[in-house]
Amino acid sequence: MSVIEYDVIVIGAGVAGLTAGTLLAGQGLNVALVTAGEPTACLSTGCVDVCSQNENPLQGIANLPDLHPFHLVSSETILQALTDFQQVMTDMNIPYTGTLEKNRQVISAIGTFKTTCLTPLTMESSPQSIDEKIQIVTFTGLKDFYPSYIISRLQNASFSTYDARVSTTMGIAAKFEDDAFLEAFISWLENLNISADKIAVPAVLGLESATAIMKRIASRLKRPVFEIPTIPPSMPGRRLFNALKDHFRSKGGVIYWGWPVVGVEKAGRLIEAVTAESRGRPNSLNARAFVLATGSFVGGGLHAERDTIVEPVFGLPVHVPSQREGWFDQDYFSANHGIGQAGIMVDTSFRAVGCPWDNIFVCGAILAHTEALKNGCGHGFAMTTGHAAARSCLEYLQ
Amino acid sequence: MIKTDVIIIGGGATGCGIARDLALRGIPHCVIEKGDFAAGATGACHGLLHSGGRYAVSDPVAAKECYDENIILRRIAEKCVEPTGGLFVRLPGDSKLFRERFLRSCEEIGIPTEVISSTKALELVPNLNPEIEEAIKVPDCSIDPFRLCMLNMRTSKLKDGLSFTRHKVTEIIQSRGRCIGVKATDAATGEIKQIYGNIIVNASGAWTNLIAGLVGCTVPLTLSKGSLVITNHRLTNMVINRLRPSSDGDIIVPNEAVCLAGTTSLTVEDPDKIAITPSEVDTIISEAGRMIPHFNNTRVIRAFSGVRPLLKSQKLDSREISRGFQIIDHQNGMYSIVGGKLTTFRLMAEKMVDIIMSAFNLKRACETAEKPLDGQEELSGYPLSKRLADMKNIICECELVTRKEVERIIEQTGTRHVGDIQHRTRLGMGPCQGGFCTFRALGIMHDMQILTAEQSVQSLREFLQRRFRGIRCALWGDQLREEQLVEYIYLGILAMERNK
Repeated sequence: MSVIEYDVIVIGAGVAGLTAGTLLAGQGLNVALVTAGEPTACLSTGCVDVCSQNENPLQGIANLPDLHPFHLVSSETILQALTDFQQVMTDMNIPYTGTLEKNRQVISAIGTFKTTCLTPLTMESSPQSIDEKIQIVTFTGLKDFYPSYIISRLQNASFSTYDARVSTTMGIAAKFEDDAFLEAFISWLENLNISADKIAVPAVLGLESATAIMKRIASRLKRPVFEIPTIPPSMPGRRLFNALKDHFRSKGGVIYWGWPVVGVEKAGRLIEAVTAESRGRPNSLNARAFVLATGSFVGGGLHAERDTIVEPVFGLPVHVPSQREGWFDQDYFSANHGIGQAGIMVDTSFRAVGCPWDNIFVCGAILAHTEALKNGCGHGFAMTTGHAAARSCLEYLQ
Repeated sequence: MIKTDVIIIGGGATGCGIARDLALRGIPHCVIEKGDFAAGATGACHGLLHSGGRYAVSDPVAAKECYDENIILRRIAEKCVEPTGGLFVRLPGDSKLFRERFLRSCEEIGIPTEVISSTKALELVPNLNPEIEEAIKVPDCSIDPFRLCMLNMRTSKLKDGLSFTRHKVTEIIQSRGRCIGVKATDAATGEIKQIYGNIIVNASGAWTNLIAGLVGCTVPLTLSKGSLVITNHRLTNMVINRLRPSSDGDIIVPNEAVCLAGTTSLTVEDPDKIAITPSEVDTIISEAGRMIPHFNNTRVIRAFSGVRPLLKSQKLDSREISRGFQIIDHQNGMYSIVGGKLTTFRLMAEKMVDIIMSAFNLKRACETAEKPLDGQEELSGYPLSKRLADMKNIICECELVTRKEVERIIEQTGTRHVGDIQHRTRLGMGPCQGGFCTFRALGIMHDMQILTAEQSVQSLREFLQRRFRGIRCALWGDQLREEQLVEYIYLGILAMERNK
């Protein structure tokens, strides 16, 4: 078994893990990130929800229930985490817009308004009211985008269909990276003689260059252009992930991709190493500290069995809300399912409550009492707790 | 006002079978169904075409009917039946005495059996519990109840039979003590249709007494709820039964890409209140897991339940009540047909129509046992290659349903209900349980201007709520994981409004 030595190993490649890893690597530490695969961040809209329960995210956080892990971080830390993020994304050419003072609205693919805090610049012009005049463009055969859902809500919207000769989200996005394709698309748009104030497209404007593509269309058509996030595969989520990942690497971080953690080595009150599997071969990754950011159920950080819930990497104690009967409310749309409370409870140092080891720091959606959907605590929560857990880890290492 | 000869209330297998039989004997008729075809117990069963083995010991008459109908349906409904064969497996501790009685009864009834060793059984079904003592092979099959109903209705339609789905019978029109028609309310428009006929057949299954009650009649029925679970894998290619007296979770049936296991049997009062509890799900899984151990760690994608309308008896356990059927003449122009099995629906229809013919003083023999079901030529069955040919436009990845198929169903039926598409194409019946494809199917429906977008969104909400009812007690492991993603898509990405 090969043995590799690091200062810190981060488990999980979502927003929490990458934020923590980048902060630690930025301090000159030798950091590796292990991940079983693509994070669920890739499936997201790319928008950064901090707390969507109030017009003002900070006020929303203040109103969250006492046990909510957001209360473990100061508003300075939240501000710092978000500012760092915006700086990184600007550097990576995927700038974000928005402030912590006020939530904004992004129109969804069925015409509802989604409340969020920071959005990619490609969604900046998303309408804030139902009467804006909007021309929606869709693509022949694109099975995950139906503009008439949106038109039913926006009183002054209409749509046209462009044939991109491919019909998948990723396929169309790849075509937009090609200059000739983009030019042909712009000429087609020009010939539509659009009278609406804004142009909307599903989020397919390129794999990486969306901001530039959006700006080019907007300047030629002389009106704002914006993307509408789609169901997975979601390009804005993928762009966000790629940017954070590249940035982490640029700080010297190493990523072990497709290496699920299958075991741990302990000694007294410390975890000494994790064993990660690569093509069936075990590899021992030693480190002085570990950051656990494996996400909630969908990310694989929590696993529900018929009568209990476990954390599969370290076997940390999990807060299990009631018996299975109480995990899900009868009303699907209540967003008030008991299961949302499940996860790891941590103290102010982001160590798991009841954990027998001192060098594990936990952050992101795996934390108990987050209720991410109900409270609208998405990537903003992940980057904030990632930031805070990394600071605590740093303090421990020093 | 609509005038016909026979009014059939209920579009389950029995009602659809009666419609086909009447059509073939040239009798005008009209089916009125409050939901969609196969929406009640018909669509909420195992999809098992019984060999009769299950009832051989406890109810030889019903067993014989099952076996005879099994042979007929395999012949006339080729595209609805998968001749999987079935095994009755005996686990350590299961009574040997029951095995002897089982073999003797099957022989007396004429159900062919073959005793095979556990080694041979494991060759046939590698996922079987290797501990089994032995197995008995019987001609059980898997059957698609949705397709079966649709094809019966096809014949009715070809012979100008009428049918109204999503019409609820709210009143039986009477004249001088005779039932002469019904008033049925269209759920979509609220319009009330008056339909007159000479005979009314109440084939409304679990809702029999709600209909009979409209004219002050009652039928002695016990309503027995049976719950089932669906797994995301086809764990067996044969039907697997436990060789013991009927009990919870002792049948597993492969159906297309999935497996169904059940059932439970609990007496209920109200056929519309049939919630499933997590403990029922657990019971089914652990019992099924004794026959196929993989059941314990396979994803359960949904649980559902149906209500069997059984003839009332003194017996306390509803499982011991006869699965035979009965036709009750209310002496006022209305008949109720109750009991029976999906397997025996055709026979039930034949007997019902025989009575109708003699009431009309007409003589024409039943042809339903000889003539294959109409409309089977154009069906593909489930050959993967045929479905993959149009891969580019697959909108349900789990069940490989194409946009073209969805459009065809919408054009043929003019339906405004996404459930109708599901019943006719299997859209949404796979592992994600419609999590992705329903959004698309509804999008297509308003692309085709069948629904307004507001109606689409409303249908999507109703669908998600209905879907959730079936899956919320089966959520753990990977299925919970997938469900969290689906929830994130609808409530997170699409920001569907919450119920306050």
